[in-house]
Amino acid sequence: MPSLAYPVPTDLSPATVKNTASLFRIVTLALISGAAIASRLFSIINFESVIHEFDPWFNYRATRVLASKGFYEFWNWFDPTAWYPLGRVVGGTVYPGLMATSGVIYYLLQALNLPVDIRNICVLLAPGFSAFTAWATYMFTKEMKDESAGLLAAAFIGIAPGYISRSVAGSYDNEAIAIFLLMFTFYLWIKALKLGSALYGTIAAVFYFYMVAAWGGYVFITNMIPVHALVLIFMGRFSHRLYVAYCSWYAIGTLSSMQVPFVGFQPVSTSEHMGALGVFGLLQLVAFANLVRSHVSSQNFQKLLRIAVVAIGALGASAFVFLTYTGKIAPWTGRFYSLWDTGYAKKYIPIIASVSEHQPTAWPSFFMDLQMLMFLFPAGVILCFRELRDEHLFVIIYAVLSSYFAGVMVRLMLTLTPVVCVSAAIALSSLLDVYLNPVEPDEEQDAVAQPAKSGPADAAPSTASSKSTSSTRGIFGIDTRLVVVFNTLWMLSFFVFHCTYVTSTAYSSPSVVLASQGQDGSQHIIDDFREAYYWLRQNTEEDAVVMSWWDYGYQIAGMADRPTLVDNNTWNNTHIATVGKAMSSSEENAYPILRKHDVEYVLVIFGGLIGYSGDDINKFLWMVRIAQGVWPDEIQESNYFTPRGEYRVDENASKTMKESLMYKMSYYRFADLFGGNQAVDRVRNQHAPKNIELGLPRRGVHVRKLDRPYLPSQERGHARAGSEERERL
Amino acid sequence: MPMKWASVPLALLLSVTSALCGSSSFENTAIVRTVELGGAVVHVTTTTALKTYTVALGKADREKTSLVEAKVKGQDKLLSYTERVEKDVSLFDVTLPKPLAGNKTVNIVFENIQTHATTPWPETAEQRDDQGLKYTTGLFVLSPYSTLVQRTKLKALVPRFKSYTEPKNVDAFVGDAAVTKAGATVVYGPYKDIPASTNANFIEKYQQPITVHYYHEQPVLEVRTLKRAVEISHWGANINTQDDITLYNAGPKLKGHFSRLEHQMQGYMNKPAPHILPALNLGLPPGIRNAYYYDTIGNVSTSKLRVAPLAPKGAQRSQFSLLELRPRYPLLGGWNYSFTLGWDAPLESSAAYDKKTGTYTVSVPILTPIPGAVVTDEELQIILPEGATDVNYALPFPALSAEIGTHVTFLDTVGRPSITLRYKNLTVKNAQDIYVTYKVSTLAHIKKGLNVAAAVFILFALGGIARRVDLSITPRKKKVQ
Repeated sequence: MPSLAYPVPTDLSPATVKNTASLFRIVTLALISGAAIASRLFSIINFESVIHEFDPWFNYRATRVLASKGFYEFWNWFDPTAWYPLGRVVGGTVYPGLMATSGVIYYLLQALNLPVDIRNICVLLAPGFSAFTAWATYMFTKEMKDESAGLLAAAFIGIAPGYISRSVAGSYDNEAIAIFLLMFTFYLWIKALKLGSALYGTIAAVFYFYMVAAWGGYVFITNMIPVHALVLIFMGRFSHRLYVAYCSWYAIGTLSSMQVPFVGFQPVSTSEHMGALGVFGLLQLVAFANLVRSHVSSQNFQKLLRIAVVAIGALGASAFVFLTYTGKIAPWTGRFYSLWDTGYAKKYIPIIASVSEHQPTAWPSFFMDLQMLMFLFPAGVILCFRELRDEHLFVIIYAVLSSYFAGVMVRLMLTLTPVVCVSAAIALSSLLDVYLNPVEPDEEQDAVAQPAKSGPADAAPSTASSKSTSSTRGIFGIDTRLVVVFNTLWMLSFFVFHCTYVTSTAYSSPSVVLASQGQDGSQHIIDDFREAYYWLRQNTEEDAVVMSWWDYGYQIAGMADRPTLVDNNTWNNTHIATVGKAMSSSEENAYPILRKHDVEYVLVIFGGLIGYSGDDINKFLWMVRIAQGVWPDEIQESNYFTPRGEYRVDENASKTMKESLMYKMSYYRFADLFGGNQAVDRVRNQHAPKNIELGLPRRGVHVRKLDRPYLPSQERGHARAGSEERERL
Repeated sequence: MPMKWASVPLALLLSVTSALCGSSSFENTAIVRTVELGGAVVHVTTTTALKTYTVALGKADREKTSLVEAKVKGQDKLLSYTERVEKDVSLFDVTLPKPLAGNKTVNIVFENIQTHATTPWPETAEQRDDQGLKYTTGLFVLSPYSTLVQRTKLKALVPRFKSYTEPKNVDAFVGDAAVTKAGATVVYGPYKDIPASTNANFIEKYQQPITVHYYHEQPVLEVRTLKRAVEISHWGANINTQDDITLYNAGPKLKGHFSRLEHQMQGYMNKPAPHILPALNLGLPPGIRNAYYYDTIGNVSTSKLRVAPLAPKGAQRSQFSLLELRPRYPLLGGWNYSFTLGWDAPLESSAAYDKKTGTYTVSVPILTPIPGAVVTDEELQIILPEGATDVNYALPFPALSAEIGTHVTFLDTVGRPSITLRYKNLTVKNAQDIYVTYKVSTLAHIKKGLNVAAAVFILFALGGIARRVDLSITPRKKKVQ
């Protein structure tokens, strides 16, 4: 009987302990789900139940089509209002998983006579699925260590800002369901690998299919699992379990993923998918070799076989290179190159580079998104190395790959977060296992392995037995235990505070609605975007074409319901460059472009009055760059800078800049807002120009229409002008 | 503008028809027609000191008229009438409360409300321009009887007129002047000794359209469609009202483009442009909660609501919750704005229960008046609790169509009875109550709870069974780890 640091009840039957632990786990998981959902509702409480940002507006619009017209109509949906006059085949160019999910939920609720608005389903889909993600992460981590690590991982992923940033209520994007699918597919893969079960492999394939239908990031799974399999083979860990799991996953998963129209034949024709195919072939060879070896046991033969495997591998790789070179296999896409070279996009594809979420991650954002998980993460990975079962390799590979990707692109922080949560949970749970274990190490009794008396004692004996050489290791006394446990608890609670704070301040703004604080701390809602969009929706002809920069395309389509030239689905670079050219040319040159595209309204966002820095003048250089990419003779970026190389908007601005349509539209009558005083652009902290004349509205037949219908900035202008007036008095 | 919709008692329509129709032994001693020029709504009152009771309306006026009421002056009781349509005129045979003895006089007030009767002129206006409206009516008040004296007063809200028609060919009747203007009123008449005028001969010879072109300093508002859904819930002791409103500014269309700056300046100098609607004040019932105001793309955060407390039972309702409703953008001439406005009110504020018969009576207002606005089309749906039987309703004035259907919502099994009514061209005058009576049995009350409980129980039972059934082909082995 080993001595105990604190008393443990001994008169409990194992069944009672087991049942109680199971009940606690269910209750804890339920609470974690509740916390995960609740912490994502800040945006609804602070603002309202509204769809956020840009892409979600398209998803929402597509979901409405799906809900009102049915799945087949959605499948064949050709949207003539997007990319005017080209149109867009929506059914074939979207990942329909998200819309289908909300559609199914909607129909289900309708069938139960629960009239829930489709908008509310869309808004709450991401928080709802975050609860599932917590559960999937629990299952995944349980396979890595034990249930208590699983619970910790579930709690981490439930509130980690890195994941919340893409899944707050209203952030109705593919990632909302994709992270759940990612974690659950990984769990099923691990399960299939552990059991060698074709059933789990098939279920993994089904969820892989769901993932393919839901998010372009499915390529991550498509490469993660083959890499895992490959590493296992190279480590000499090939087994029939691996063979069964991989083949059932790959065959069914690939065939079903090809049913998604947007993916089509990509799994057999593009480079990103070739790894999975190669590993599939390699597995067949290895399995065949193993079969032969089991029949012919000769060492020479074995060597030969190995050489053959390597040769065939090399042959396959060179064939792949050849096919890529000749164009049989589609070359890597630009987005893929930008994963390896962070400067690539800026040089060759400015559209990708112009998106802020494609920028490399800054260091502080790791700590903002993951806080203490960031330093527990390596510890967890090291613990995985110590055990190094097959599934631990998966975590290690996942950790390495996603760490790299998260460093390259801000948005890929999302794929890093789950593995960080899992590793951190493993590390923290191991720490707690040691310090919560009541058994005192005994210096006299050497050889006896320490049996753990209480709790779900699955993992503890396995760790203890693996290092049974040192029985004197352990913790003495209650005080040491208390210090460490309280310290951990303090860190955990601080983590909760941090997550809540970051979520509520940084990630819960819908960006459609802005909040500003008055001088007395009261909150003002700035709703100018919707004001402009709703005006367009209510007071223009239904086929009036609106030109704006592509950022606002989805919002115009969703809220104003009007045709747009370009939108956030940036598939046609030339069309975007056309808009960029129109914006950066002088009025004389822009007018024919606008007429050719039947443009009746031009929407410009200007934030110089209240200091909204995300306005079009700040994006203007990207318009110029993108236009320059297509018309290098007509648009040159250098013309928009002053001779001294500055980007100025005041009197010193270059002539080209001053003549550009964007500049004129932004500053048209802006100075009038300041009475006789010097007008100041608050975003750029420069004096704003006076006497800007806009010729366009007064010309030709479109005098009335070709106009700035609304400048949200001017609306904000008032509020500001009003308060300044009072200050002066 | 006073809001009196909630205090208007249920209007009754008498069905007694007079046997004296068409008699011509009467004489109009004096007719005064007062036209209150408004925006979308024009209020015409014709006071006839007479012994007659057939009133005529010209064809053009009849087309614009949405509501006709006749009263004896000084009395609240409405007189019943029947309408006869002739070639040029519509004749309303008003039934007097009691037959008039010879040579006696009675004053009859004949009110009609005309909607869509004014047209903006000029049809477009710049942001800083005035708003001019035109109103046209017939010069003479037609009557099947001879008239001693009659005059027509056209009252505008501001004493500025752009122009008004000088009547021609009326020297036979005119004493001093055919038309005079005094302040904000243009008076046609007095015209004396007019013979019976509903005949084609007179109309052809003397009747002529007169047009007043006046300034109107309030926006001309039109509610193009109003969909009101009133849902009664006994479980929540709640009555929910939701209006889907499409508002249209029927004033002169905006010329050029809207300038925020100018609008702001006008606000500063306290001289708002007459055809711009920046905000609306609505009187909602007292004691409401959970008011919401949103449009197709989400919540509108610019409104203010001051809720008046619910008056004690039996007290005269006089207070209103005041809603200052601000559209997303100021509504200029020719601009639309559609939105949804809804609120919950305690059921006891508008329902009564009769223990003897077991009937509930609920009063439902037809509309919440928007001052000066006309409701062109209304669809009113009253949704009763699930399982309500013996549904009856009393309308203050007839609807264009009325039907009883079923509305299925929130975990319903058989659906709720609903009454759908349609109206056209309603004004403040029509803001009256509909009374609905129905019965709900105790079983119907608890039915939903039982249904849900049963469904949940079945789910759990199925779950329990599924856990205990082993469908595997080979007996399950213990997992080896």
